[in-house]
Amino acid sequence: MRRVLIPVLVPTLALVLALAALTGLAFATNPGSTVTKARLERALPAVFAHVYVQEQRLAGRTGLTVADLDPVAMCDRGGPSVADTGPGSDWVCLMSWQDPEVPMPTEGYGKFELTVRSNDCFTASSPSKLVGYATMTDASGKTVTNPAYEFDGCFDPDTSNTPTGHTFPSLLSLTSTTAQVDASGHPQVQLGCGTGSDGCAGTLTATVATADGSTGRSLGSVPFDLAEEQVKTVTLPGRLRAGDSQVVVTLSTTTGVGSSSPATLAVQGATG
Amino acid sequence: MSAAVRFELRKLAAQWRVRALLLAALLGPIPVALVMSAQANPPKDTLFGRFALDNGFALALMLLGFLGQWVLPLLTSVVAGDSFASEDQHGTWKTVLTRSTSRNRLFWAKVLVNLGLTTLVLVVLAASTIASALLVEGAPALTGLTGQLIAPGHALWLVAAAWLSVLPPLLGFTCLALLMSVWTRSSAAAIAVPVVLALAMQMLGSVGTLEPVRPFLLTTAFESWHGLLTDPRFTGPLLEGFVVSAAWAAVCLAGASFILHRRDITGG
Amino acid sequence: MTTTPSPRPDGSPPAAVEAVGLVKTYGSVRAVDGVSLRVEPGEVYGMLGPNGAGKTTFLRMLFGLIRPDSGTVRVFGRSWAESGVGVLEGVAGFIEAPRFYPYLTGRQNLEALALLDGGASRGRVEEVLGTVDLADRAHLKVGGYSYGMKQRLGVAASLLRDPRLLVLDEPANGLDPGGIRDMRALVKRLASGGLTVLLSSHHMDEVEEICDNVTIMARGAVAFHGSLPDLRALAPEPGHLLRTTDDVAAERLALARPDLRVGRDGDTLRVAGQRAATTGLVADLVAAGVGLLELTPTQTPLEELFFMLTDPAGTAPTGGAAA
Ligand SMILES: Nc1ncnc2c1ncn2[C@@H]1O[C@H](COP(=O)(O)OP(=O)(O)OP(=O)(O)O)[C@@H](O)[C@H]1O
Ligand SMILES: [Mg+2]
Repeated sequence: MRRVLIPVLVPTLALVLALAALTGLAFATNPGSTVTKARLERALPAVFAHVYVQEQRLAGRTGLTVADLDPVAMCDRGGPSVADTGPGSDWVCLMSWQDPEVPMPTEGYGKFELTVRSNDCFTASSPSKLVGYATMTDASGKTVTNPAYEFDGCFDPDTSNTPTGHTFPSLLSLTSTTAQVDASGHPQVQLGCGTGSDGCAGTLTATVATADGSTGRSLGSVPFDLAEEQVKTVTLPGRLRAGDSQVVVTLSTTTGVGSSSPATLAVQGATG
Repeated sequence: MSAAVRFELRKLAAQWRVRALLLAALLGPIPVALVMSAQANPPKDTLFGRFALDNGFALALMLLGFLGQWVLPLLTSVVAGDSFASEDQHGTWKTVLTRSTSRNRLFWAKVLVNLGLTTLVLVVLAASTIASALLVEGAPALTGLTGQLIAPGHALWLVAAAWLSVLPPLLGFTCLALLMSVWTRSSAAAIAVPVVLALAMQMLGSVGTLEPVRPFLLTTAFESWHGLLTDPRFTGPLLEGFVVSAAWAAVCLAGASFILHRRDITGG
Repeated sequence: MTTTPSPRPDGSPPAAVEAVGLVKTYGSVRAVDGVSLRVEPGEVYGMLGPNGAGKTTFLRMLFGLIRPDSGTVRVFGRSWAESGVGVLEGVAGFIEAPRFYPYLTGRQNLEALALLDGGASRGRVEEVLGTVDLADRAHLKVGGYSYGMKQRLGVAASLLRDPRLLVLDEPANGLDPGGIRDMRALVKRLASGGLTVLLSSHHMDEVEEICDNVTIMARGAVAFHGSLPDLRALAPEPGHLLRTTDDVAAERLALARPDLRVGRDGDTLRVAGQRAATTGLVADLVAAGVGLLELTPTQTPLEELFFMLTDPAGTAPTGGAAA
């Protein structure tokens, strides 16, 4: 047994050691990942423009060209605390493009989720709001795969890594659907700030909702400052009284974008 | 030299494993293409997989991506791994080395013959895969890796070029199998080790945190054809892959030659 | 590639094989321990030794299959250091059992091997197959060959090279009595055609039958080196076992002859001496009316000498001739 094993084991071990040494060497001279924010910000729009035009062709729209579309993207990996480099499935890209028939939402972009592999290829899934679902109806009425719903692309690891400079503001949203009352009777609501360049800041104002829609008793206002991809609970200075069943919350942003129209939330929890 | 090459060719031509290999390369893709086209859901996790059920070009490229993981290394090791070890197994080193054939000449004859056979196997496999895929699924325009549509006539050339682009790393694996064949003197080990190593390299290369190692791995070059399918095309990884494959081959052959020259021939 | 063989100072052609102080050790085993020998062109040279004597190791070094730790071996004046594989030009043979590719037929094996020597005509392949009597089996895969058939194919493969020096490592190994006889006849025939033969053997009778000069090896070293007549001179006198109708009388008669040494082997009387002395004793027995039941030679003298030379506990040869 030893006579058979040793001549096989020694070379195999030697090879494994060589591979380990190579790994060490590679880390010592680490040039950094080829997967970067800047490269994705260039690659994703290039691929998207093609597949989006393909989708529109399928739907019977001719005349739209890749050049017309002029997409622009900003990419971010895993929120502010994660460096925007390297492969992973936590890449998010915000992209806007010019299609007169499908205008961008108020924030001005759609959100794409990317899985980027170490081989410099990625799979992107598009925002359904803007691009549609996995299948679509083509011009002749057949159900076909939507080429822009989910798509693959690869980029040249040797291309420019200079920042594109494209930025998009974070999208601020109320993430709670109710106003929670804390122990001392203050209502609390949750705010979420999406991927974007500088996070979200501004003021939240709340009033007690009235049956006739008139402005109710003020619950005061609170300033907020959220980093991108952060969720925060905000406590209002005013107290709720017994019988207050709904509050109206209005957001005004100085950084980031969000709907400025008031939202009505049901009160949950004991009110004193 | 040519005498030793003809000698090696004569032996290869008589071996069932060589015939089986060529036959597998020729006929294997047919059932694979048929099975693939009968799938209900496309294998989206492999590049070009999402189009693989209804586009022959995409199927041929998806199979290329899949085969690079271990099938290609296996195909080359089956014969190359046996090359030197079988002389030990049959005890025939002394038979050839007592006939005015230097170890050096025999070594290079084996290297040349195996590199040639691997090239032939790849060409046969590529031609058969592309032909089967196109016959089974047709040849509509192909969506490239920049989302661009590639006309069938052009796609055919690109797919063929992509298949041929794996030749350098594949020959690197041939040299690795030759090294193991000389070193372990065991066909089984010399066939298994390159395949296992290919899988290991594939895994190392796909771990995000090990990214710095990627450029040095032989398996990375198996993916360098991606740049042919983008618009604009990029060839940096192809060149890098060529250099890395050549370095692997050179190191393996130098090691194999060194070991063969130093060893005592006592078996048989 | 090859350097011209350098003639010796006196102008005569170089020795076919000339080894000087060859040493090869495996761990603590000195497989070949300072062996020097010289095989002249045209002679049949025997290397005799028991298992593990180092014969095969010596021949491997000659063929360049292993590197000696020290010492040199020259073949027709060429050494490995100077000529590389050119040393083997004009040399053929096999080491231990000859081995071939089992998936090729006997003929295909020869044809393939001939490619290494620059090719051989179909006729030449058939000729050597005929020489070793394998022509009718040459179409079968070697994988199915018997030991003896492979041995003969080994000789055929060697002859295919038209060698000037044929090196055979225990060529009779594994052959049946008929095969052994044919092999010896073949070697003699080849030698009479001017071929130099270096062969190793376990068997004194084989060496005695076909060799001109002999080296007896034991435990890696040379125990005897010389011509067969010299070896015979070293051999003890032939001994005989004697059974008679009257052993007491026979012993008395034997002791009466000064040219015979007398002993006992169990119950049997044992005498040793020159042929004339033994026949003289037989005449004496007949004259004395003692019936001779059996007169059996003990081991041949050379075999006895072989054991004495190679046995670790060996004693110096005894007997008149050696004295
Ligand atoms: N490859 C090896 N590794 C270790 N020891 C070896 C090797 N080859 C030979 N030996 C040792 O060297 C000594 C000489 O062996 P060798 O084969 O030369 O003897 P031989 O005279 O040919 O014997 P035989 O008559 O059995 O063929 C033996 O003790 C053997 O064990
Ligand atoms: Mg031996």
